[in-house]
This record gives sequence, C-alpha cells and structure tokens, in this order.
Amino acid sequence: MSIDVRNITRTYGDFYALDDVSVALPTGQLTALLGPSGGGKSTLLRIIAGLDTADSGSVSIEGVDATKLPPQKRNVGFVFQHYAAFKHMSVAKNVAFGLEIRKRPKVEVKKRVGELLELVHLSPFADRMPSQLSGGQRQRMALARALAVEPTVLLLDEPFGALDAKVRKELREWLRRLHDEVHVTTVFVTHDQEEAMEVADEIVVINGGRIEQVGSPDELYDQPANDFVMGFLGEVTRLGHVQLRPHDIEVAVGPGRAGAHAGRVTRLQRVGFEVRLLVELESVEPGREVAPVSVSVTRSHAHALDLELGARVWLTPAVGATTVPAMVAV
Amino acid sequence: MVELSMPVKWLLRLLAVGYVLMLVVVPVGTIAQEAFADGAGAFFSMFTDPHVLGALWLSAQVAVQAVLINLVFGVTISILLVRYEFPGKRLLSALIDLPMSVSPVVVGLALLLVYNGRTGWLGEPLEEWGFQIIFSGPGMVMATCFVALPLVIREVVPVLTEIGDDQEQAARSLGANARQTFWRITLPAIKWAVVYGVVLSLARSLGEFGAVKIVSGNIVDQTQTATLLVETQYQSFEQASAYAISFVLAFVSVVCIVVVSILRPKEGH
Amino acid sequence: MTAAPALEAPTRPTPRRRARSGNTLTAGSALGLGVAVTWFSLLVLIPLTAIVITAGERGWAGYWDTITNPQTLAAVRLTVGQSLLVTAVNVVMGTLIAWVLVRDRFWGRSVLDVVIDIPFALPTIVAGLVLLGLYGPNSPIGVDWAYTERAVTLALAFVTLPFVVRAVQPVLGELEHDVEEAAASLGASRTTILRRIVLPALVPAIAAGAALSFARAISEYGSLVLLSGNRPFETEVVSVRVLSHIENGSTASAAAVASLMLVVALTVIVVLDVIQRRVSRHG
Repeated sequence: MSIDVRNITRTYGDFYALDDVSVALPTGQLTALLGPSGGGKSTLLRIIAGLDTADSGSVSIEGVDATKLPPQKRNVGFVFQHYAAFKHMSVAKNVAFGLEIRKRPKVEVKKRVGELLELVHLSPFADRMPSQLSGGQRQRMALARALAVEPTVLLLDEPFGALDAKVRKELREWLRRLHDEVHVTTVFVTHDQEEAMEVADEIVVINGGRIEQVGSPDELYDQPANDFVMGFLGEVTRLGHVQLRPHDIEVAVGPGRAGAHAGRVTRLQRVGFEVRLLVELESVEPGREVAPVSVSVTRSHAHALDLELGARVWLTPAVGATTVPAMVAV
Repeated sequence: MVELSMPVKWLLRLLAVGYVLMLVVVPVGTIAQEAFADGAGAFFSMFTDPHVLGALWLSAQVAVQAVLINLVFGVTISILLVRYEFPGKRLLSALIDLPMSVSPVVVGLALLLVYNGRTGWLGEPLEEWGFQIIFSGPGMVMATCFVALPLVIREVVPVLTEIGDDQEQAARSLGANARQTFWRITLPAIKWAVVYGVVLSLARSLGEFGAVKIVSGNIVDQTQTATLLVETQYQSFEQASAYAISFVLAFVSVVCIVVVSILRPKEGH
Repeated sequence: MTAAPALEAPTRPTPRRRARSGNTLTAGSALGLGVAVTWFSLLVLIPLTAIVITAGERGWAGYWDTITNPQTLAAVRLTVGQSLLVTAVNVVMGTLIAWVLVRDRFWGRSVLDVVIDIPFALPTIVAGLVLLGLYGPNSPIGVDWAYTERAVTLALAFVTLPFVVRAVQPVLGELEHDVEEAAASLGASRTTILRRIVLPALVPAIAAGAALSFARAISEYGSLVLLSGNRPFETEVVSVRVLSHIENGSTASAAAVASLMLVVALTVIVVLDVIQRRVSRHG
C-alpha cells in the first residue's frame, strides 16, 4: 500500500471535516476522492500532504509513518486548484524550484526541466511568466513542477476546477495518459462524478466527513453501497420501494407483468437519441403524494411503443437493474 | 453608475480642487518661493552652516535606523498576524494601530517616564550599566520607531492576505523549509508593499518633531534634528535658514510620496 | 437576507475552508513572536502604561485638580471643539474629494491624487511654517490668521486631509456599478440612488476616516507650534499643555493630561475595530 490513512479525525470548532476515516490506496494507481463540496475530501488530501494536521489518526506513505513529518519532508507532489504558480518566476524557474531547493547540480536541473516541459507540452513557454499563460497551461506547469522532484505520490486538489469545460475535458484525458506514462501513485480530489468515472482506477466516495464507499468506477455504478452513492454517481428515480436509474425501467403499454406500476405519461421530452418521460403513477396508497417517476427510453423504443402524452403505461424494474431500497419518504 | 449633470460635476470638481489648492498646494508652493526669495546662492549658502548640516545628518541617521528596525519588526509582525493563529492575536492587531492615534507629545512623555536616567523604571538600571537613552541617540530612534511603527505593517498585511498561502504551501510541498520559503517565495511576493512601507516610514521618520523634541532635549549640535532646528531658527528670527531647511525636508517628503505613487500601480500585474 | 442561508444549509455549518491558513505556531515563529512582542512592549505598551500609573501617583484628587485646572479645561475645550469642526469638514470635503477622484476624469486628477498624501508625509513643523506663509502676517492674499483660533482650524484641517479621502476612495472604487444601474432601472432618481444606495455603502468608510481624523486632530502638536502661538485660554491645545507641564518638570501633571489623550486614542482604536468587524461580517 502506498498511502495508508488510519482513523483520521479533523474538526474545525464543532464541525467534523473528517470523522474517523481509514483508507488504503495502492501503489501506482490513479485514485479519485469524490464527494460534494464541504464533504472532507480536500481536507483528507491536505492531511496526506502535511498541509493540514489531523486531530488524531495516522498517515503513512510507502510504509513510512508520515503523521508528524512536515510537508517538505514527505516527498509528495501537490497540485493546487488555483495553480499556486510562483508569480515572480518564469515557467522554467517554477519547474526547477524543487530541484534547486534540493541543491541538484545545475546541468541536471536544466536537463530535467527540459524533459518535464516536454512532457507537459510547455517547452516553447519556458521563459514566459505564469501571468502570460492560460489557465490550462498554468495547471500543466504546476503538474510539471510537482513531478520534477520525483514524488512518491502525486496529490491534486480539484486540479481542473478553475478551468472551463472544454479545457477541463482535454486535461482530464491528458492526465489519464500522463499517468499511464509516469505511473506515479496519484490521488485527485473532485466533486465531478463524470471526471472521477472517466479518469480514475479507483474512487473513494466521501461525504459528511465519512467514507461512503471505495471501489472501481464500475463497482460504484453497478453496486452502490447506499442511496447516497447511487444518487451521486448518476440520475436516480423511485419506483415503488426501490431507487433505480431511469434507463433501468421497462415500459409496457399493457398490463401483464406481475408487480407492474400503472401510470400516465405527463411529460415527454426528446433529448438527442433518448426520450425522457415523466410518469405519474396511479394510486399507490390513497392520500400519499408520490413523485412522478422519470424514465428514459431510446427513441426507437418510444416509437415502437407509440408513446405520447397522456398514454397509459406500466412500469417494472428491468432485469438486472441496479436498485437500492428507497428511504421511507417523510 | 450615477452620471451627474454637467454643472454639478463642475461644481464638485472646483470645490475639490479649490480646497486642496488653498490648503496644500499653494502653501507648500510658498515655501519654495520663500526658500529661494534671495536667490539660489543664498539658499545654498545656508548649507555651509555646520549646525544645519549636522542637524540634517542627525535626522538622516535617526530616520534610517528607525526605518530598519521598523522594517524587520513590521515584516515579522505582518507574517505572524496573517499566517498564524495565537492567543491575543486580535488584541495585538488592534494595538499595533495605536501609535497612529497617539499624540507625538504623549509618545515623548511615555518614553521619558520609563527611560529617563534618574527615575525611569528601565532608564535608571540602564544608566547604571552606562546606557543613556533619553537625551541621546537611542531615545530619538525609539521615539521615531514608535510614531512610524504601523506604516510597514499597514502596507504588508493586505498584500499578504490577498496573495494567500497557496504559493508558500506549494513551496513547502516541493521541499523548501521555512527560511527558504520566506526568502524565495514570500518576500518577492510582498516586495513592493515593503518598499512602499519603507518609503512612507522614511518620510514620517525624517519629519518627526513632537516626540523627538521631548526625548532629545534639543541639545545644539548633539541631539538637534533638522525639524527641531527649523523651530529654533524660526523663533530666533533666522527665518531664511528655517525656510531653507524646511524646503529640503518638504522636498524629500514630496519625493517619497511621488515615488510611492509611481510604484503603486505596478501592484497586482 | 437572513432567511436565505437557512434554506441552503439544512443542518451542518459550512466548513471554513480559508480558516486553515491560520497555522499554529512553530518553534521559529514562536521565537519571532516573542521577540516582536517584547520589543512592542518595551517601545509602546510599558511606556503608555507608565503614563497611566504616573497620572495616578497623586491620587484621584490630584488627578482631578490637574485636569480641571481652568487653563487645561480651556485647552481641552478648544482642542475637542476644533477637532470636531475639522472632522465635520473632512467628512464633507473628504467624501467629495474621494468622489471626484474615483468618478470624475479630468486633466490633473492624478496629480490631485498624489497631493492628497502630502500632508501625511510633510514634517508637521514644516506644515505649520508652510501655512504661515500663506495665512500668516506676510500673507500674499491678505488674511492674517496667525495666533488665532482660525490658525488652529487651518493646521488641523491640513494634517487630517488624507484620512477620510483615503478611507472612502477604495470603497467607492469597488462599489458595483450594476447596483446603481439596477436602482436606476427600478425608477430611482439620481439623488435617490446617491442617498439610498451609494451613501449607505460609504458610511462605514466615512466613519472610519472620521475617527482617524478626529484622533489625529486631538493629538496634533508640530504644525501648531509656529502657527497658533500657543496662547493660554485662546490658542493653546492639549498637547501643548502636556509639553509645558513636561518643561516645568511636572511629569505627574503632564501624565494626567496625557492620559485624557490616551483615552481618546484607545476609544478610536476600539471604534475602528468595531467598524472593521461589522463591515467584514456584512461584506
């Protein structure tokens, strides 16, 4: 295990940012810490880096107890959401910083900086100042700077959070490829489930200072441990006593299947290749309001069934659908 | 944005410019006129007087020492106030501004009470060890330090707050220790704020009058600074000399102000 | 405004993300703090405490006698009266100048901006001399206010000029224009916008500038020395009273009067702290 976090608790006043959190992150993997903002994921990352201290618990990196080590002795690379570029230094100087601190010979520093700028495609910008770079370029510079010191682990705190959607997407794919090339144990924090699913080998879902689930993107999507994880990773709707994804609902135009819920289509919206329906169920239990069920079907399927507004339909969970028991509505 | 009508705009403009003109610009202008009333030769001849040269030299020495002390103290306190948590921080941060609103006369009296060689709480033991503070250099430096104390801090604290600690944390995570982080990251980032603070402190220190008057004893050729000499000369009807020294002091302070205003817009780019 | 957060945040307080910049002290920074606080105490705190203690040396009766001495009372009355007057002038003129500097564009505006700082940097004794040149016995414009109450007003107005301007200027500059535009789109007239939107936003800054200007006026000494003549019962201010007690060797009396000035200084510090905290809470 590359990073081993045990029983970490961190409070700010009476607010628990992390509440007895333990997690082990294997060497060489790309792990995402995923969760809503304020859930404690950034705090955990900063505690691993030594930029924040836990009230209790321990952190070890590559088998070395790092709990009491200051950040400069942990040999971690840290990339900040807002780049933390050294504004008064050129791009090359920024990347060279960690090596100069370590008093490496000048020739070696120069060579390594050259390699890294090549790696992040910033070679032509070596002598620019950070203020002359775009956001995406600054973040790549910050990555090169963190990688320069050959860190044991690379930690990224919402690395693409400050960038616009298109650059975000590019950098995300680029980070995945970079990781496949460099293979350094990498942990990144994000609140974007799509980003986590697309890039990470493993996802740790954190909410309210606790870990909700740890697993591969497929595991989390197909076997969510609870309704929070299920809801956070994709759309959910409620049918009877279970929660499930809208595309995991079978639609029929006649009764037949046991346990089918009858209802009426109250809204029908075509979005690209799919058709989204809102179905108002007919009396489940009298006197109880039930939210309409959202269902999504492919366009051709909707066509075949001849679905239109006001049509009467029968809904059943699809075979093999991912479901979790619905919490009792209040 | 509210657009005022033309007449109102002009009225406000005239009021603002007129007020500043009559209160500051014209009076400060008259000093140049008075100083050079008898020609440049007469003006420069004032500076062959050893009393005048001595007083100017003393003022410069006291000011430079006070500025250096306030520079080190100011930067240290600013970093502590912005980057660290400790008990009593709010109190300290409020008290730091106190010298801005304490009368120079009160400053002088306060230092006199504690550091005079005969009855002062600390002055008496220090005098026994051979250190004289009141009526000598150290007292004048302390009085000057006191009045200019918050200037560096007031410039540095907002800049430190604004840049945040991201860059410093990045440096730490890249292996820099506290000293390396300060010299390579923090100081370059607050460089201009420190420069403004120093220039303003220098102007304030050179011009200090009330506090220095009390602690220095105004001893001719020993503890008489340029500002004290202005008073003495004016009251002994050596007005030409008083105006000449005043012109030099005013010139230096105006230069300081102009330097700061030229440097300032560079900030944040 | 108060109901909105309750809708968004159901149970948990939001984490104070920025608060983490407050590190606890390390060995090195603790040493730095120790040295800095020691120096601050030796330079500022112990000497100011000495004033309070010396003022109390002769007991309450002695203290009372000193500060109710008719000449001292006259000086207090003059100083407070003139300081209030000058502060009022600054509130109006300072806000006006700040407005012109931020909202108006004309040739020489940047020079005006620089000139505002001159009273701050000019040695106070020189300030007195400078004003004497224009408003003294040899006045080229024919007004001789030297050694009168007008001279005190003039000197105090000169040295306190920057405070309100410099407090209001940045706040006015950062005021969002769309708020004013929104008010205009809702049908507010220019005066209504100024009165209901702009002015309320400036009040804390004006108050802070006024407090500093009052404190500075109360404590002024250097610029009055040559200009006011320090005539007892007429143009003698409090700081001159303190100085003459010192020169007469009566430090206890000097400290008694000085303690009054110290109270004003401390009050101003507290007022500023309160204003700042109120602003940052609403901002």
